[in-house]
Amino acid sequence: MHVPFCARACDFCNFYQERPDRTGIQDYLAAMEREFALYPPARPFETVFWGGGTPGLLKAEDLRRLGRIIQNADTRHLREWTVEMAPGSVREDKLESLREMGVTRVSMGVQSFDDGLLERLGRPHTRRQVDQAIDLIRKLEFPNWNLDLMFALPGQTLTQWEADIRAAMEREPPHLSTYCLTFEEDTTLWVRLQKGQVHKRSEVEEAAFYERAWDLLASGGYGQYEVSNFARPGYSCIHNLNTWRMHEWLGYGPSASSQLGQRRWTNAHDLEAWATGVATARPARVDEVALTPNLLAQDCVVFGLRMNEGIDLCHLQKRYPDADWPALDTLLAQLVEEALIEVTEARWTLTRSGRLLADAIGSAVIGAMDADALAPAS
Amino acid sequence: MPDLKKTRNFCIIAHIDHGKTTLSDRLLEATNTVEMRNMKEQLLDSMDLERERGITIKCHPVTLLYKAPDGEIWTLNLIDTPGHVDFSYEVSRSLAACEGALLLVDAAQGIEAQTVANCHLAMKQDMVIVPIINKIDLPGADIDHARSQLEEVLAIPGDEAVLASAKNGIGISDIFEAILARMPSPRWYDFPQARALVFDCVFDAFKGVICFVRIFSGSIRRGQQIVLMSDGTRTEVKEVGVFSPKMRPIDSLDPGSVGYIVTGIKEVADIRLGDTITLADAPAKEMLPGYQEVRPMVFAGLYPIDTSDYEKLKVSMAKLRLNDSAFVYQPESSVALGFGFRCGFLGLLHMEIVVERIRREYDLDIISTYPSVVYLVTKSDGEVVEVQNPVHLPDPSEIEQVEEPMIRATLHLPNEYIGDILALVMEKRGMVENTETIDAQRVMLTALLPLNEIVVDFNDRLKSITRGYGSMDYDFAEYQVSKLVKLDILVNGEQVDAFSSVVHTDKAAAKGRMLCAKLKEILPRQLFKVAIQAAVGSNVVARETIGALRKDVTAKCYGGDISRKRKLLEKQKEGKKRMKQIGKVAIPQEAFIDILKSTN
Ligand SMILES: Nc1nc2c(ncn2[C@@H]2O[C@H](COP(=O)(O)OP(=O)(O)O)[C@@H](O)[C@H]2O)c(=O)[nH]1
Ligand code: SF4
Repeated sequence: MHVPFCARACDFCNFYQERPDRTGIQDYLAAMEREFALYPPARPFETVFWGGGTPGLLKAEDLRRLGRIIQNADTRHLREWTVEMAPGSVREDKLESLREMGVTRVSMGVQSFDDGLLERLGRPHTRRQVDQAIDLIRKLEFPNWNLDLMFALPGQTLTQWEADIRAAMEREPPHLSTYCLTFEEDTTLWVRLQKGQVHKRSEVEEAAFYERAWDLLASGGYGQYEVSNFARPGYSCIHNLNTWRMHEWLGYGPSASSQLGQRRWTNAHDLEAWATGVATARPARVDEVALTPNLLAQDCVVFGLRMNEGIDLCHLQKRYPDADWPALDTLLAQLVEEALIEVTEARWTLTRSGRLLADAIGSAVIGAMDADALAPAS
Repeated sequence: MPDLKKTRNFCIIAHIDHGKTTLSDRLLEATNTVEMRNMKEQLLDSMDLERERGITIKCHPVTLLYKAPDGEIWTLNLIDTPGHVDFSYEVSRSLAACEGALLLVDAAQGIEAQTVANCHLAMKQDMVIVPIINKIDLPGADIDHARSQLEEVLAIPGDEAVLASAKNGIGISDIFEAILARMPSPRWYDFPQARALVFDCVFDAFKGVICFVRIFSGSIRRGQQIVLMSDGTRTEVKEVGVFSPKMRPIDSLDPGSVGYIVTGIKEVADIRLGDTITLADAPAKEMLPGYQEVRPMVFAGLYPIDTSDYEKLKVSMAKLRLNDSAFVYQPESSVALGFGFRCGFLGLLHMEIVVERIRREYDLDIISTYPSVVYLVTKSDGEVVEVQNPVHLPDPSEIEQVEEPMIRATLHLPNEYIGDILALVMEKRGMVENTETIDAQRVMLTALLPLNEIVVDFNDRLKSITRGYGSMDYDFAEYQVSKLVKLDILVNGEQVDAFSSVVHTDKAAAKGRMLCAKLKEILPRQLFKVAIQAAVGSNVVARETIGALRKDVTAKCYGGDISRKRKLLEKQKEGKKRMKQIGKVAIPQEAFIDILKSTN
């Protein structure tokens, strides 16, 4: 469920979000209720994820209203319910409401414990606020909680990054995510990049940031289970694993994505367009794709390889017998030869250097599995 | 039949930018050939590309009706000439259709290489040359200097020069008077049989092939059978007409006139420029002088960047060929580039024009291989083969000798640059045959140079060394034995045929190093380490290594991101589609283009 409101736009963020206002939020909530009623999940779901935007920005009563949508549905199989919060908007009453309605996991975009770096990112919170928020989360005994960190920030040294990781680990969250800063178009940061006010780091520097995180977190008992995700044993995010394994999910709210049956789509990145779509029962959707077995097979490989569990090729071949698997043979052999992939029993996993190249490998996989015929008909 | 005494056929020859187009405009205006001026967009200096480059390829004649001061009406046929050395044969054919030439010299620039080259072409044909010193309005105009240059370089009396400013319309009536008074009336009109010179031809979607002709003797009418004398092709005349200035059918084309003949011939490629047309009933035995078969001098492979564009490329080439008989092509394939065509051009500029036209007019992304000249290879068994593609150079063990085409270049430049230019000529394996002082500031060098050395950047280098004040013209000279070898480029041990070139032994190592370094710079890093080598036969003369990619991963990737992420990867993949896979290395098209552009 996508809550498209943020207090202000962070400099690096290009997610769809709007400035909240009272009536806007009420209309949004009403539309969410209607969307859920119109397109209810066809079977019991296992996980719920409230992302955004900043769901935590909503008032306690609004959170409860949104929560009732879930509570009134079939929650027999519900195992995990995550809510994203910004440290600055964490309040005890909100957390209490969340806890009461059954939220199991809070995810907080900390980004850094360094106030100087935070300010440069345009993140409207401080280290003190982060700690206050963590105290509250602890106090309310959420079973799982996560801190998001960002690295390769403008002006950040490797030592500062290390300090951030240690600071995060000291607070003992069950789950940690670390994201490399990317320059997305239409963000303040991008504009500053274009103007030459900030600089992109070299590939080699970024790799060093990645690897430093991997080493430190491993030594602190955080197991990596995906390129950017680490958890104490048993605390991985089930919702995300479900996505990367190419199962099914349903998205509600503007900009939310769904994958169901043979289709994948995203709701319009526009509050009004989405709301009108819901009101008229003519959903405003973008990027609608038909999921062919070949496409799903590719995505299983591409997104599966990003996970440390890797992929079980035999299993995938059974799941999608019609995909163009033979086309992958040469590539996989090359990747093994170059020590970017390793094979243990039936599982293919990226090596450390392979993980740093997950995108390049991903596009090579897609390329191999739907290579076009080369010779012209002459 | 027009009054021969009151007919003049002439053209304007000039170095680029000396004012030919402007003067043509003035002459059209003065004779109220307004319609023609309006048509200029399509006709004179027609194509954008040519205008951009300040050259003309297609010559379209115009008939001007000039009212002399005494009230008599004169018929003046102005034949446009192309403006670049690549097209010097075409120039010579246009000249051959005339009795006189206006020689334009920029009063500030003085005589340039093309002025001299074209003037010599005209003199060889016994044409009357009327020198015009143009742009006398310019503050930097030096009329005396221009006059003395005319005398010293071209042996034309300086006081014969008409002073003009085409831009400001000064001297235009003097120019008309000079055309009338100094140029002779049409020659060879009394030859017993009909003879017409084909100096250009175009393809018209409705009419077919239209030849632009100058009738020397006899008359040609619709319905007659004519013969193209170079190969004896017979065809029927479907229509004859004049340029007034639009094409206008008339009954008969008579001696001395300039006009067009619509033939039954299907393709421009079947018409040879400079050919003589005669009547089938009473054929002439002797052709008009000066006919030559044009042979392409420069060859290169043209390949579609998107392999599925092959058919489209084929069609566009056929269409181009319809109006450009100097352009030849035949299918070939390359390991690196897939299916494409080996094309022959008159010169590098001709090649650039064709490539640009395919890109612009047919909206095709194409890539051209490194241009090559035609080598004559004598094999050990005595057989002589022509090699237009470096890839086809036989194995060194089978080669007795290789001969390469040499050109004789005339270079005009300010004195101060002579040292640098001599060094450039040396670097390009040339030999200076003659140095001549034009005046206190300028010299003229004549040098024998291998065509393969000047094919790519000689002219650019000349221009940059002389800050734009040097100019060049060249003619094919002869074939010469030379120590040439094939330089191959290997990427991870696989030869990339499109990068192969023929170089002089002494230059192989240096060029190899340069190519490897350039490739290292432009090849994107890959998942694997890539070795680049330059080799002559099995002898590696240079090598570079490109380290493997270190990091290419995006961190964020949750539910909603799958579509975004997928798009991103597909975009990367699309990028790859535009790459050529050589072994396990993907080489982007841009790399081919960059390499081909940046090296010689
Ligand atoms: N000042 C001056 N400029 C001229 C004169 N004739 C031509 N030009 C300029 O010289 C440039 C080249 O002229 P153009 O007729 O295109 O030259 P072409 O390349 O020989 O056809 C243009 O910018 C003209 O305006 C002239 O008599 N005086
Ligand atoms: S990072 Fe989060 S809080 Fe900041 S603008 Fe983006 S969605 Fe909103």
